[in-house]
Amino acid sequence: MDHLLAVENLTKIYARGEVLALDDMSFAVARGEFLVLIGLSGSGKSTLLRCINRLIEPTAGKVTFDGADVTQASPRELRRVRRRMAMIFQHFNLVKRSTVLTNVLSGKLGYMSPWTSAAHKFSRADIDKAMANLERVGIPEQAYKRANELSGGQQQRVGIARALMQEPDLLMADEPVSALDPATSHSVMQYLEVMNREDGVTVMASLHFLGLARRYGTRILALKDGQIVFEGLPSDIDEVRFREIYGEEAEEVEVL
Amino acid sequence: MKDRYYAGFMQDMPPWMQNFRHIRRPLFAFLVDFVALVYTWTIVSFIYNTYAHGVASYTTLPWWLMLIVAVEAAALWENFGISPGMKLLGIRVATADAKPPRRVLARVVRFLVWHVSGLPLVGYILTKKGLAWHDLASGLRIVSHEEMETRRLPWYRQSWSVAVAVMLVSTIIAAFLVTKVDWYALVTNAGKTVNIWKAFFSPDWSLLGIGFRLLLVTIFMAFMATVFGVVVAVPLSFLAARNLTQGVVGRTVYITVRTVMSVTRSIEPIIWAIIFVVWVRVGAFPGVMALLVHSIADLTKLYSERLESIDPGPVEAIRATGGTKLQVILYGIIPQIINPYLSFTLYRWDINVRMATIIGLVGGGGIGQRLMQYTRVWQWSAASMMMILIMLVVWVMDYSSSRLRARLM
Amino acid sequence: MAKRPKKSKSSRLNTFLKKLDALRPRAFAFFLDWATWGYIAYAVMYFLNQYWYTWYVDWYGTLVLPAWGWPIVVLATLELTILMHAFGHGIGMSLFGLKLVTTDADYPTRKQRRRRFLWMHVSLVMLPLAFVRTRQDGVTLHDQRSGTQMKAWKDVKDALPARKPRAWLKTQFGLMTLVLIGVTFWLGWEITEIDLSMLFSRAGMSARIWKDLVNPDFVHFFQPDPTLGQSIVQGLIESIFIALLATLAGGIIAFPLSFLGARNIMGFSPLAWLVYAIMRAFFNIFRSIESILWAVIFAVWVGFGPFAGVLALTLHTIAALGKLFSEQVEGIDPGPLEAIASTGGRRVDVVLFGVIPQIIPSYLAFSLYRWDINIRMATVIALVGGGGIGRILFYYKNQVGFLTNAWNQVGAVVIAIVAVVWLLDYISGRVREKII
Repeated sequence: MDHLLAVENLTKIYARGEVLALDDMSFAVARGEFLVLIGLSGSGKSTLLRCINRLIEPTAGKVTFDGADVTQASPRELRRVRRRMAMIFQHFNLVKRSTVLTNVLSGKLGYMSPWTSAAHKFSRADIDKAMANLERVGIPEQAYKRANELSGGQQQRVGIARALMQEPDLLMADEPVSALDPATSHSVMQYLEVMNREDGVTVMASLHFLGLARRYGTRILALKDGQIVFEGLPSDIDEVRFREIYGEEAEEVEVL
Repeated sequence: MKDRYYAGFMQDMPPWMQNFRHIRRPLFAFLVDFVALVYTWTIVSFIYNTYAHGVASYTTLPWWLMLIVAVEAAALWENFGISPGMKLLGIRVATADAKPPRRVLARVVRFLVWHVSGLPLVGYILTKKGLAWHDLASGLRIVSHEEMETRRLPWYRQSWSVAVAVMLVSTIIAAFLVTKVDWYALVTNAGKTVNIWKAFFSPDWSLLGIGFRLLLVTIFMAFMATVFGVVVAVPLSFLAARNLTQGVVGRTVYITVRTVMSVTRSIEPIIWAIIFVVWVRVGAFPGVMALLVHSIADLTKLYSERLESIDPGPVEAIRATGGTKLQVILYGIIPQIINPYLSFTLYRWDINVRMATIIGLVGGGGIGQRLMQYTRVWQWSAASMMMILIMLVVWVMDYSSSRLRARLM
Repeated sequence: MAKRPKKSKSSRLNTFLKKLDALRPRAFAFFLDWATWGYIAYAVMYFLNQYWYTWYVDWYGTLVLPAWGWPIVVLATLELTILMHAFGHGIGMSLFGLKLVTTDADYPTRKQRRRRFLWMHVSLVMLPLAFVRTRQDGVTLHDQRSGTQMKAWKDVKDALPARKPRAWLKTQFGLMTLVLIGVTFWLGWEITEIDLSMLFSRAGMSARIWKDLVNPDFVHFFQPDPTLGQSIVQGLIESIFIALLATLAGGIIAFPLSFLGARNIMGFSPLAWLVYAIMRAFFNIFRSIESILWAVIFAVWVGFGPFAGVLALTLHTIAALGKLFSEQVEGIDPGPLEAIASTGGRRVDVVLFGVIPQIIPSYLAFSLYRWDINIRMATVIALVGGGGIGRILFYYKNQVGFLTNAWNQVGAVVIAIVAVVWLLDYISGRVREKII
């Protein structure tokens, strides 16, 4: 099986107000891909990503990750799956009052026994690895600062370092750059690209700007109202497609 | 320091006084260490005396000897290690190039000379840039902890944190001794309370009517105290706001109001009630007065703190359009504070209801007074009826006032 | 096509709940208005008693109404409320954001209002039947008959034709509020027997006290009073330690309990919900009884003395801090929790690495704040046998008339209390500023 991730008939209905967030969605992600999800806000990108690792329980459908059924997994199996698919977030989701190092090390929690993690006893090897990962994202000197003392771009790099700690097969990025300015956006996206190319991590990123999607994605999935409206290469998106995805009045803006 | 005061009120410091800026941290650090040492010694003596001699006494040494020992110990600690005070104020003893001093001799010299210069303070005042005589003599100096490289050590290898641990543990032991904690009585006497607990599940429902009326009195006590409190506290709060009282007169008024209010506030309403019960006889009225006095003080503080944190932008804008002082208050300040004021008032009413229930204990009227009478004669089922009513009203008040406040904010 | 969630089998229950949901704000508004009118009726009768049938007033100065009078009062207030809900826009409707409109989103005519008023009687008389006849979207029997609907103001705001808003005081809401405040103030004045003249006529009395109070007698400041066996300083130390132990023990116990009382941590399984509800009820009940009342019980239990005070304050502290803490837990940023869950962390890991670092500073700040309160309480808890400086205070106060310098001694104690409370207040304020 060369697909890392397969999504079949995934549906999510939010009970309150009965909003149909994902409507019978099916697609597959190949190993080593850089898949970009685009679409308007509320088109279901975040819900899709969170349904894949079941931070949100899907209403119906099936998600298969590397041959394992995620949707039917027991809590224990689910943790096992989750530690192989890392996630980074729009608002970084760091524990602001903990140090950067602790935040990075929390990526290892899925591998630790409850007692060692309760005692905050990280192994020497883990700490070294966390430092190495911080070095990789270019902020080793910030390790002992509190997370909220860092700038937005630096915080997102901490998020990436945390994801690297998991040694993931799949990296899901939920609008990783929409809280950042254009220049920082590119540097963060480049780290994702490096992970994709050098470590062979499959990346699934939802992005706001088409420009970024064209630049970094190997394949694009466009969502609208919980349905896939386009699937193909970045270069296939022309003016007509663009209006289909983003609505009639939309106009493309360039990011740098 | 300077910009905390408004122009024209405070002048620049004379040069000799500016030295104070450099010596502030070492001095405070020494003070902290000294107090900590004296405190620990006293507490440990107390524990020792209690266990060894069975006497609750806080002294083992003559007081003058203890003070000398504390001074010497603090000085030793600060020269040869990192003391709690130094940690708290973020200072270290270092060489001129901000390295930990390697030679012990320098530390010894600094310690000895300190008795001549640091202890009588002359060495601090008669120098420049914070280098006191003992610093000059030893070649060491006080630096900020950020300037030095720090090694991370576990807490049990740092003297200051060990000292803090000792302080905490001895404090807790002493607290157990002072408050005569008696687990034995807690367990064996539990039977004594059986009647009370039983009564709580069988309240005397025949008192419901009377209890309800008394409850009403209590609620109204709180209401009247709050209403009058607001009427007095609103104008006072303008006098107690730092940003609205400028100039010598304003500042004097500010300091006077703040001080009076803060003293008044630290006296519990129940103590005020004692005074007012003598003054205007037993009943609901002294209760209202006691609550009123405390409410005024508390509300003035809350209000004025809110005034101090208003957005100066609108005030500036109205002043720029040529508004008078009254217009500035009416259009620039009041719209900003009206909702917080209402919310503080509700909050205070809520507190007043609680307080009103206990003010009755000293004769302040309302349901509390009746409750106290019942507990004095151990009529627990009657008391429990009152308690249930109090609980009910406090809970309702708490819930509704927090809902309303959430809406106001 | 994907599986859609099946329609719930218990759809009848669902309909019932939906109706209830739609009717809830309206019912609350109705009861609020009814209670308001009841309150006004009470006030009216109180004043009648006070100024007219004065021979009826008993010791508490409250209403004595013949038995047949009560139904009249109840019915009359009910009628007034119905009238208000048909023709007006009272406090209840304003607070719950309701507005009476026609089905085609217009202001109801007088005739419609009249029909509504009459049909409301029918609805009320046969309440269960009226509820059954209520449509699922909350259109009740009287609404159906009169062609009106009670809607949320924010939903109909834009659809309604614009009208010039009235001045605040000219609305029914404003008028009612004003009347309520006025009546309450008057009632309060009467009930609490406020007598300002007494403040002046007995000023001489207080002048004597004040003169003694500001001339404190510090004779027993360090020197223990032989009868009490304690000096003021010892009493202060005792009070501080009472507060310290109570805060410490209370904080330590409240810490784990606060997680049990937090919605977002407990989740929504029935068992968790039960635990949550029990914790919340415990916090609320024990918090609403002042610690001094607990001290009454504990003084019986473990005997008079500081230990009773410690226990009373501890109990109250657990409840108060537990509530504050669990509100903190409920207000945390959910982002980091999501992140830790997504790395494959357990629930324990989420709490340890996501929740606790976020709440520790505010926990400390709240505990310090609680310490302040406990110190204040510890100074007065002796009133019912709790020990501490309060014991000395009340002892001297009770010696008034026996000791010539009793008030001077009280003054000394009060000054000592003020100094300590002030100092510790200041210190804890500074520390709290630094933590948050």
